[in-house]
This record gives sequence, structure tokens and C-alpha cells, in this order.
Amino acid sequence: MSPIDRRMLYHVNWRLVGVMAALFAIGVLNLYSASGVRLGDGVQMENFYQKQLIWGAMGLVGMLAFMVFDYRRLHSVAWPMYVLTIVLLLAVPFIGKTVLGARRWLDFGLFSFQPSELAKFTMLLLGARLLSADSEKLNLRQLATVLGLGLVPALMIIKQPDLGTGMLVLLLLGGLVLFRGVKPWLFRTLCVLVPLVMPLFWFVLKDYQKRRILAFLDPATDPLGSGYHILQSEIAVGSGRIFGKGFLGGTQSQLRFLPEKHTDFAVAVFGEEWGFFGMITILSIFCAFLYQIAVVARDAKDPYGSYLAAGVFFYFFWQILINMGMVMGLMPVVGVPLPFISYGGSATLVNFSLVGLVLNVSMRRYLFKQT
Amino acid sequence: MKNLLSASSQNVPRHGATLLQFLVLGLFCLFAVRLWYLQIHLGPVFTEKSRNNQLRIEYLFAPRGFLRDRIGELLAVNEPAFALGLVREDCEDIPATLEKVAELTGLPAERVKEIYTRNKPKVKSFEPLVLAPDLTFDTIAKVEGVSVRWPGLEILSRTRRKYNYGHLLSHVLGYVSEANEAEMQADPSLSLGDFVGKQGLENRLDARLRGQKGKRLIEVDVTGRRLSEEQQGEPKAGEEIFLSIDLGLQQLGHKVLEGKSGAVIVMDPDTGEILALVSEPSYDSNMFTSGLSSAQWAQLRDDPLHPLQNRATQSVYPPGSVFKLVVAAAGLRYGMVDPKETVNCTGEVALGNHVFRCWKHSGHGAVNFQRALVESCDTYFYKLGMKLGVDRMSEFAKASGFGSVTGITLPHEKSGLIASREWKEKRYGVRWTKGEDLNMVIGQGYTVTSPLQVARYIAAVINGGKLLKPLLIRGEQPQITGQLPLTDEQAAIVKRAMVATVEDPRGTCHRVLTPGVVVGAKTGSAQVVRLTEELRRMGDAVPYKYRDHAWMAGFGEQGSKRYVVVAMVEHGMHGASGAGPVVKAMLNALFLGKKELPPQDVAGAASPTASPAARLEAVETQFPEPPVGILSPSMDGARREGDQ
Repeated sequence: MSPIDRRMLYHVNWRLVGVMAALFAIGVLNLYSASGVRLGDGVQMENFYQKQLIWGAMGLVGMLAFMVFDYRRLHSVAWPMYVLTIVLLLAVPFIGKTVLGARRWLDFGLFSFQPSELAKFTMLLLGARLLSADSEKLNLRQLATVLGLGLVPALMIIKQPDLGTGMLVLLLLGGLVLFRGVKPWLFRTLCVLVPLVMPLFWFVLKDYQKRRILAFLDPATDPLGSGYHILQSEIAVGSGRIFGKGFLGGTQSQLRFLPEKHTDFAVAVFGEEWGFFGMITILSIFCAFLYQIAVVARDAKDPYGSYLAAGVFFYFFWQILINMGMVMGLMPVVGVPLPFISYGGSATLVNFSLVGLVLNVSMRRYLFKQT
Repeated sequence: MKNLLSASSQNVPRHGATLLQFLVLGLFCLFAVRLWYLQIHLGPVFTEKSRNNQLRIEYLFAPRGFLRDRIGELLAVNEPAFALGLVREDCEDIPATLEKVAELTGLPAERVKEIYTRNKPKVKSFEPLVLAPDLTFDTIAKVEGVSVRWPGLEILSRTRRKYNYGHLLSHVLGYVSEANEAEMQADPSLSLGDFVGKQGLENRLDARLRGQKGKRLIEVDVTGRRLSEEQQGEPKAGEEIFLSIDLGLQQLGHKVLEGKSGAVIVMDPDTGEILALVSEPSYDSNMFTSGLSSAQWAQLRDDPLHPLQNRATQSVYPPGSVFKLVVAAAGLRYGMVDPKETVNCTGEVALGNHVFRCWKHSGHGAVNFQRALVESCDTYFYKLGMKLGVDRMSEFAKASGFGSVTGITLPHEKSGLIASREWKEKRYGVRWTKGEDLNMVIGQGYTVTSPLQVARYIAAVINGGKLLKPLLIRGEQPQITGQLPLTDEQAAIVKRAMVATVEDPRGTCHRVLTPGVVVGAKTGSAQVVRLTEELRRMGDAVPYKYRDHAWMAGFGEQGSKRYVVVAMVEHGMHGASGAGPVVKAMLNALFLGKKELPPQDVAGAASPTASPAARLEAVETQFPEPPVGILSPSMDGARREGDQ
């Protein structure tokens, strides 16, 4: 069996490709605007949108690479990947590179790389493998096994410190657990226990993280400190009103009142310039995108493919929820980018590749019908 | 572990697929509602906030209006001043630069650091922070010499108010100084470093003098860098204002009061214009414009002679016998006086157990209305007071403008006090006594008036009863604020008695007789504490602070020219000898052209040199405390020796 079959091309989920392309296009257009900075006369452009285009091209290659092989082969690499991830994460505190006060990067000479990015993918593979083994709802022991396996890399990542990625790893596993379902008694117990245990995490948090959460609960207490990001983001989005200030017309972004406008707060630039209609449009496209992945998860040939697609679903779902929630002042400031909209090289590469994985599952859904 | 890792099952969780779809729906609803709330419901609020982020308003300085006297002599102008500023953004080593600034300016290093720390939050990093407000040319030269090696240091040129006669007019002009936090809050057009009038006319005419700042709308980015500018209105210079003050007369008043504490007022009785308003001791208005040090401020504030006090409007004193002009008029008004009738003065009047004495213990014999005023006979007025009673005296005095402010364009004017039955019961819970009627009639007791109120009353007596608002601006429309309840004949009787007081050789004001001028006046010496006979006989040996205040209130007429002159000398002892020379000097200048002009003030040079403590000490040693027992603080009842 050749890895790619002509028939499979007919079964590529072109709708998913379409919404993804739309998101990426909007993202680049928005980055073009977010790159504009006014310093004196005229607008000076930074080249984030060009770099993003290049990363998009590389992402396309990654996407194709994730389509050509049969996804079931990933079944067997989950454990080795897990071991590799743990080793790399262990190495970070010793040989890692410190950027902006956090030690997250491993420098391989030609390129640097964050093992925490790999951890997300690894946990997706491992979670899909473990949870697709059975269709029974999870009991306590199984749940503990899955979450225990996730907690190891998650805590290592949080220690770096990178609260956002660490949380994403756990949330992704949590999503998969819910996708499978847990025993009703266990579910009810968790519903009571989790809110009780959550406050304990307060003591694990760093001071700046605590400040962010407090600032989120009441931005007015510290308008120039942690609350500043939230406030300026809300001002940007809110001042867009119904139709926005127009493309390249955002004052909050061009005059740099909006922090992190290429990355975490990129969608606030969009909200400022395109207003309520623009934001509802982008929100609808995101929902269509997620819906298409959900459809793939539902229609997959086998549970493993289904769990892979669900994993990718949650990978995107949490990032969209956390990032847009933060931009709209519904969440504390956590460094989570918005897929396809925020600037980021490796994130773009990963995003395209994961969509490739979903397409992979999708186009092979009829393959074994006859057998 | 085992069943987790066992062979794959073919079942895709159905509820899982449903869950994903619900999550998508939930995500959409949550954010759609939030977006509606932020962008549509709160949209206008955030639009406003975004504008506030982006636009700054800068004000362009408008020159403050000049102040001139009635003939155009410049009293207050603007002059360039140079300040030393520090632009933090350009400065390489701020602590070292601050040290250098201390060295260059001669200010203590801690002071420079303190100024820097205090103003840092208010000044943007690319704007100059003023470290030393007033540089000498020497310092400017020194700074220019080293400025290449100390980037960030800048000489800033600003304008500063300059008072050409700092000491002469400080109580009239007041002064300007930098706006404080509260003033900036109350008036949004004020910003850090702006000057506002704090006292005197500078304060009351601030809006006219200040002019209108030009406005410039500036677009800034998050660091405050200017991106674009839009002019929104040129600065409009403040109005130039001519005062009614006559500089020469003012200088003369200043000179004759020099070394004393007191006030003199010259007023045009027909318009209300004030030609001179002198209060001594005074201070130099220029001290405030370049920033007063706390030591200088403490010295001014704690000076026992209170140079900041405007004694013409902000101080109130018992009027003493000057008040007889008021009760005499009240007697006419209520028909309780027949000018022809005489009263026999034996030197004392008994009321109950108390004996009220006339200042002339041997008595004046038979005195009629005019002679009672001419010789200031207390007995005559005691008897009048018994007839009138507090209610009528109080009503008439209030109708004559006492107990209420004149409305002069100067801040913090005092209204003084005219007591009444109700007032006393409310204040002390005790009933008014007959003896107090007798105290009131000779201008003692509770009654206190400001020199300006007395001037307004005298003006009303000779101008047909009009109570005028005292005006400080030349050519201002006269404002009648009230009418004396007197007929013209009654007013004329009072006026005639005042003239007789000057012209009659026995009159208490005979010394202000001025050839060729019709002069009328009345003296007063107002008791500060009740002195015993023994102490009073000490005369000049009475301690300064227990001596009576000396009053003289009068007017002069020559053809169509007429002026009211009121002088009050604190602890001047006797009206005629204490305040008389002041009035005489003013009358001479007004009608005989005998003006001797003291030389123009050199800014900052003419202030009294001794410290307040030393001055007070001098006063104390000159007039030692009296032995205990000869001084009675009681204010009730009997009249002590009095006027002449």
C-alpha cells in the first residue's frame, strides 16, 4: 500500500483547508496593520507580516508532510516521543537559553527550539493512544494514569516558567478525557473536588502571575501595571464599536498603547480596526474551523483517528478560548497566542502541521471500508 | 494499565462528538455576547478612553496683563527669568548630574535631590524638570560652560512677574506664585508651573490679567512622543489694568506710616475710587514670584507685626470715638437729639453702681450736639446712648455699612461686628445690659470696624448718603450699595460738626487744619485692654501692646475736589497725635501739592532687616511688662481716660 492513494485526494476535507486559509489570510492582513508604528512623520512598517508569510509557506510543507503517511503509524511512536520530551525538558534547566527571564529554549546551533512546544504534540499522541484503547468511561485509576502522565511534563514546563503552555498540556489531556467520558460518580466527585483544589495552585504561582490574576479580577487597581494590558486591550476592542476604525486606522495599535500587538493581542488590533462585524466574522470562521475538526473526529474510521482529531480540536479550542478571552477581558493575562492570527514561527508551523494531521485522519476515513 | 494499552476498539465515543459541537456553540455565544457588550454597549466609553490615550492638549503661555497706577505708572510687569531644567531622557547619569547642579547653583545637594524626586512623577522623561527656578547671570554662564559635558541640562527661559514697587503696593496688588495642586484641580486650564494670583488684585482680577492660553492639540504615542500638532487658538495676552491708586500718594502714605503698624486710606467720596490704600508693615510682593523658601515664609508668617495682614481691610479694631459720628447721626435720625439742646457734663455719669467717666474728669460743662463732637464729650454720648439703646444704635450702624463687607476687590475682607441684643444672647447666653449701651456709644465693647468701613461711612456723610463700593480700578462705574438713613439736613449737621472739630481751636482735630481747604474730621482712640488709672497716667511708659489704637477719620474739600482720608495707627495712643500727622500729610499732598516722594523701591532691598524675633524683642525691651496688678483685663463698664 502506497502511503498516498489517488482516491484519497477526493476525500481531502477542502472545507477545513478553506477556513484555515481564510484564517491565515486574515491573520497576515491583520499583522500588516499591526506592524505599522508611527514615530514622527508617516507610518513605519515592521516586517512581521512578511515573516509570517514565509512561516506559512513552511507550514504548508509541514501540513503536507503530516498528510502523506498513514496516521496509524503514530500509534507506535507515542511512548518514545514521551521519553524524548521528558529528557529534553529535563535538559532545559541546565543547558537552556534564558530569554526574557524564562529558560525555555534549547539552542541547537542552526535553530532554537522549545521542548514545551513538543510536549503539546507528544501529549496529544500519547493521550489519543491511551484513551482510544477502550470505549468504557474512565474510572479513577485510568484517569489518574492519564493525568499523572500529563502532570510530569506540565509541571516541568510551569517551572520554566511558562504557565500558559503548561496549562495547555493539561487542558488538552482534560479535553480528551471529557471526549472519552468519565464514570458518572467520578465526574460528580470531580465537579466538587476541582474547585476546592484549584485555590491551592495559588501558592505555586509566581508573584507576577498572581498580580496578573488580581489585575484581571480588578483592572482598576493597577492601571499602569498588570491591569494595563487588559485595559488597553479592552479599549482597543471597545473603541472599534460597530464598524471599526478602518484598516490601518487603529490608534491604540499604531501609537503602541496596545502591548504585544503582533502576538498575544493581535486580535485586539483586528477588533479595533474592523469593529463588531469584523470580530463576529472572525469568530464565526474560528467556529467553522473547530466544527470541521469536530466533524472529522466524529466521522473518523477508527477511535485512534477520532482521538487524534479531538486532540487537535482541543489544542485549538483552548488557545482560542484563552487568547480571545484575555483580549476581551474575560481571562487573566496568560501568554497564549491565537492560532493563525498571532505572529509566531514555530506556532504557525505546528498549527499547519496539526491541521495536516486532521486532514490525514479525514481523507483516510473510507480506506478500510471493504476490509 | 492493562486495558488502557490493550488492542484498539472500533468504537468512536458518540457523546464525545456531541460535546465538541456544543463546545463550539458555547464558544461562539460567549464571545458574541462579550463583543456586543464591549463594542456596542460600552463602545462610546472606550472610544473616549482611546481618544484620551492619543491626544494631549498643550497650552501656550499668554503674557499676564500689566498693572498701572491712575496716571499710567507701571506697577506690575513681566520680566524674563532663567531656570535650570533637566531632561531625564538625555541625561546619562542622573545622580551625578544632580550633584553637579548643586555645585553650579550653590543649592544644597539634598535640596536638589528633593526637588527632583518631588517633581519626577509630574514631568515626562523628555520634558525638562525644573531644578532651580531663578538663575543669576553668573550661574547661567557657569552652566553654559559645562553643558556639553552634562547632557540633559537645559537653561529654560520663562517670564516672571515683577513688581516695580514691591513693598509699596503688596497689600493692594498681592502677588502671583506657581499654582498648587488644589488650584490646578479646580481650574483645568492651569498646569504645572503656571502662575496664578494668590493675594490682592492679582488674585481677584486673575481671570482678566491671566489672559487666555493658546491651545495646541498634540498627538502622542505611548511614550509621550509628539507625532503631530494642531494649533487651536492663539494665546491672548492678559488685560492691562489701570488702578485708581495714585502712586505718589501711596508712596507718601507708606513713608508717613513707616516704622508703625497701621493703615491709611484715601477715597474719592463721589465715585468710591481708592487713591491710596496703605497698610504697614508690608512685605515685598517680589519675594513670592521666584518661589519663597520655607524659612522665608515662616519668617513672614510668624512676624509678630503680621506684615501679610492688610490692615485696611482684613483687620478690625474698636472704632473708639470715631463711632460717635455714627451714634450722633443715629440720634438725629431717631429724633432723640436736638442740636440746640445742651447737656451738662460733670465728668461722670452714674448708672446703677457704676460710674461712667468722661475722658475730661473735670467735665465739659454745658455741651450741645456740635460741641460734644468737637470736644468728644463722653458724658453727652452716654446720655444719648441711654436714650437710643442698643437696638437703634445697632440698626443704624448696620444701615451705615458697619458689620458688613464693603465689597472691595480684595480677598479676605473682614466684616467687623455690630453687636445686638440677639447676637449677645446667642453668643454668650447672657442678656444685654444697660452698661453695654454706654460702652457701645463710645465705640468700645463688642463693636469692631475696619478702616475701610469707616472711610465708606465718612464718604456717605458728605456725598448725600450714598454707601459706595470702594473701587480700585480707574474709571470703574460707581456702585451704590446702600443709602444712609439720614436726611440731607441731618447729614449736613454731622458734617458741620466735623468741620468745627478741625476749625475750633478746642477741637480734637485742630491740628489737621489746612489753609484753603474745608477739612472735617473726628478722632478716636480705641482701648485695647482696660487700663487702670495708675497705668494710664504712665503715658508713654505704657507697654506698646497695651496702648490704645489711634484713629482719625476725615475729609477735605476744595472746590469740586474732595477726598476722604482715614488713618489708623495701632497702639498710636491718641487719635490726634497718633493718626493726625498721617491725615495731615495726605491732605497736604492732596490739596497743597506738597508731595515728598520717597525713592523708588529697589526690589528686595527695602525689607526690614531685623528678624521678627529681634523686632519683637526690641518692642518688649522698649516697653517692659507692667507690674502685675495694675492691669485689669476686664472690658466691662467704666470708661477710661480717652480722647483729646
